[in-house]
Amino acid sequence: MTERFEVPARLKTTSIALIAIGLIALVIGGITLLGGNEFDKTRFWVVLLQDAIFFTLITTVSVFVQAAASLAQGSWIVAYRRVPEAIGANVWLFGLIMLVVSFIIVFVFKIDGHNPIYEWVYPKGDKILEGKSAFLNPGMFAAFSIITIGLWSFFGLKFRAMSLAQEKAPKGSTKIYWNVVRLSGAFLLVYALSQMSTTPWFWIMSTQPHWYSTMFSWYTFASAFVSGMALILLWVVYLKNQGNLELVNKEHLHDLGKFMFAFSIFWTYLWFDQYMLIWYSNQPEETVYFKLRQQGPYSIIFYGAFIINFCMPILILMSRPSKRNYFTLTFMAMVIIFGHWLDFYQMLMPGPLGSNWHINFYEIGIFMGFVGLLIFAVSRTLSKASLVPHNNILLKEAVIHLS
Amino acid sequence: MHLKYESIVREPLVDGEKDYHQVTEDIISPIEMKPGRMWYVGFFFSVALLLFGVFSVAWAVYWGLGTWGVNKTIGWGWDITNFVWWVGIGHAGTLISAILLLFRQGWRTGVNRAAEAMTIFAVMCAGQFPIFHMGRVWDGFFVLPYPNSRGPLWPNFNSPLLWDVFAISTYFTVSLLFWYSGLVPDFATVRDRAKTKFRKMMYGLASFGWTGTAKNWQRQEALALVLAGLATPLVLSVHTIVSFDFATSVIPGWHTTIFPPYFVAGAIFSGFAMVNTLLVISRKILHLEDYITVGHLEAMNKVIVLTGSIVGVAYLTELFMAWYSGVLYEQAAFQWRILGPYWWSYWAMMTCNVVSPQLFWVKKLRRNIPFTFVMSIVVNIGMWFERFVIIVTSLYRDYIPGSWAYYSPQWPEVGFYLGTFGLFFTCYFLFSKYFPVIAVAEIKFILKTSGESYKKKMKHIEDMTEEEFVHVIETHHEDEEVPHHA
Repeated sequence: MTERFEVPARLKTTSIALIAIGLIALVIGGITLLGGNEFDKTRFWVVLLQDAIFFTLITTVSVFVQAAASLAQGSWIVAYRRVPEAIGANVWLFGLIMLVVSFIIVFVFKIDGHNPIYEWVYPKGDKILEGKSAFLNPGMFAAFSIITIGLWSFFGLKFRAMSLAQEKAPKGSTKIYWNVVRLSGAFLLVYALSQMSTTPWFWIMSTQPHWYSTMFSWYTFASAFVSGMALILLWVVYLKNQGNLELVNKEHLHDLGKFMFAFSIFWTYLWFDQYMLIWYSNQPEETVYFKLRQQGPYSIIFYGAFIINFCMPILILMSRPSKRNYFTLTFMAMVIIFGHWLDFYQMLMPGPLGSNWHINFYEIGIFMGFVGLLIFAVSRTLSKASLVPHNNILLKEAVIHLS
Repeated sequence: MHLKYESIVREPLVDGEKDYHQVTEDIISPIEMKPGRMWYVGFFFSVALLLFGVFSVAWAVYWGLGTWGVNKTIGWGWDITNFVWWVGIGHAGTLISAILLLFRQGWRTGVNRAAEAMTIFAVMCAGQFPIFHMGRVWDGFFVLPYPNSRGPLWPNFNSPLLWDVFAISTYFTVSLLFWYSGLVPDFATVRDRAKTKFRKMMYGLASFGWTGTAKNWQRQEALALVLAGLATPLVLSVHTIVSFDFATSVIPGWHTTIFPPYFVAGAIFSGFAMVNTLLVISRKILHLEDYITVGHLEAMNKVIVLTGSIVGVAYLTELFMAWYSGVLYEQAAFQWRILGPYWWSYWAMMTCNVVSPQLFWVKKLRRNIPFTFVMSIVVNIGMWFERFVIIVTSLYRDYIPGSWAYYSPQWPEVGFYLGTFGLFFTCYFLFSKYFPVIAVAEIKFILKTSGESYKKKMKHIEDMTEEEFVHVIETHHEDEEVPHHA
């Protein structure tokens, strides 16, 4: 078995080239946008913010998936468990970028006495924002972000470390196995109080600080979750094509396909609930959110994201053969990641940028940079240990797993 | 082909030395015997409750809904509270039979039959409330959209209350079909063992001439898959639409976007609790401890702590957003809810639904049967209060202080509620007497993978190295013993 993964030169070159593109975009963006007017400057920061949030959340999904599978004693994930482990062990990297970008925005970024991205930083005179200042203030933002990212990173690294420690444990020893279960419970609590509630309020919803929706965090979770599963699938298929992951077969891929299918529909369910209830009750303080997105310049992204994230998965992934086909799965995984990146785009931009959105060299370049960084970091982690989680208690079940 | 193997870390789903015949014997024989004394006591008590319910409803229909405690401000009271409560309980059956089937959870086989039966009975109970809440119940058929002699008068398709009519009737139909299609092979088993002519005839009719051929099984499995596929979106849609009854309004405390998924989570929460209530008793009375093991109850309790926590996050989100919104009326609604004259209902809900289920993080308590039983009832008390809190405490402080009101149920409402318990348990007692309470065929399907005695024989597989195991898989054929020294 080819258990070890050696980062192929081509992959390494690709990732470095992507990072270089990202850096070039950053530099050119820095020169042209930071030297420009208020709108340009805002665009410079908010694009970085969007990618930092998106990549932090979708990599953390890998930590969540490990925790959920451990608690449910799922063996379906074990054959390729090293993939979510490696992604999860890099949460700290994107988290760190997120902390740097968001702290600059909150603490440094200021134009004419106001903050175009997080307006609540300077709530002067705005009665509603002043009412929220016990929650929406830089101190709270910083504290919540540091704690959240710290814990996510810790669990991401810890799960991988424990999985590697199991390899050296006595054969069949279940001590680490049960410890992972316990830790997974703890992580779920952390996740419930961060991703499923406070984090999206702080990072995303507060860019339109007058608006509110109780669904918002669960909706964001659904968006991140389905992209996170697609990301895992892309790595599994890539490694499989490299001749690694010999134990993984179509049964395992079928599972990931089901997750992409089912949670695309779950995302749509939450999308519809949030949209329909706001549309139906028609109260101006709530409809303002969709007014900006559905009517006007964002409508193409608004409808586009819906078509990509719902119509495509439900039509293409519905049938069983398509969930067992490498090409269809890979294609759909890329579509889903792009679709939800767009979804995050339309969540974040209308507040800070108003009706002037751009998807141009800068947006694309920064996105590519993040992709390069992800490839570089995850492939490096993957190469550091065996791709088969030896001595995992459920490994034998994973071998004979039927989807 | 496929090797029957399961890891040692999973506890067996069927305890003891069992073969296929023994499984049939254990599960079917209670049907063939006369029920014990406790069964008669319980059954007649349930029928009595049911009759009291019929009387209470007849009273309210005859004299009008003025006999209920609802008033102009609080137009929905116990009636809709009970409706939502029963519908929610119904969700567990479908979740276990459809969604856990999709997730390949073997432990569902021990509990699915009873849970599905419970779903059907609970939905039957739930349906009574909106029907009699209409008041002039003889005009109840007006909710059905058929071409009629009332001119251009159609039901209001924009109303979630009408969506409820469609959602719940569809849900009931699909659940019934799903449940019944699973029962067919088991009915045939009872028929084949029957000693009396009458029994043979009745179970023969019920089993639609099932002969157990490969073609029979193939069609039955195809049907089960189709129905599972239909039931999964349905189970989400039902409580989603129930939540729309509230959330589409503009009433503070009702209009909030998180309602649909949070109602679904709450429904699963209460439904699993009800399944536990029933199973703890059934397994004891019918001597099914080998099939409904402590492990099964523990798995149910894990779902309870999960869904209870999801509901908890939703409560806190709701509360937080009421403050965060900056809307005076939102804030006031929650203030009245928590600190007003109905404060006790809010705190009962919080304690029973969010705080006490957290005890299930402790493994010892998850596996403690008396504790499980008590908790299963506590959870359902909490979930009843949740609906009461949402309905009554969002309404009782109106925009105009002059119309502020208080509401207490009158005896016909209480009687109506008790009557639905009568209906529910009458049905459940009949079910447990005449129907196999565990899916015999499905237990047989998992027996050789998850049965205790079979798992003991897997020790040599467990001892193999990973390379040996992979080698065995590649060369293994069905019906072949796995060699002890590969």
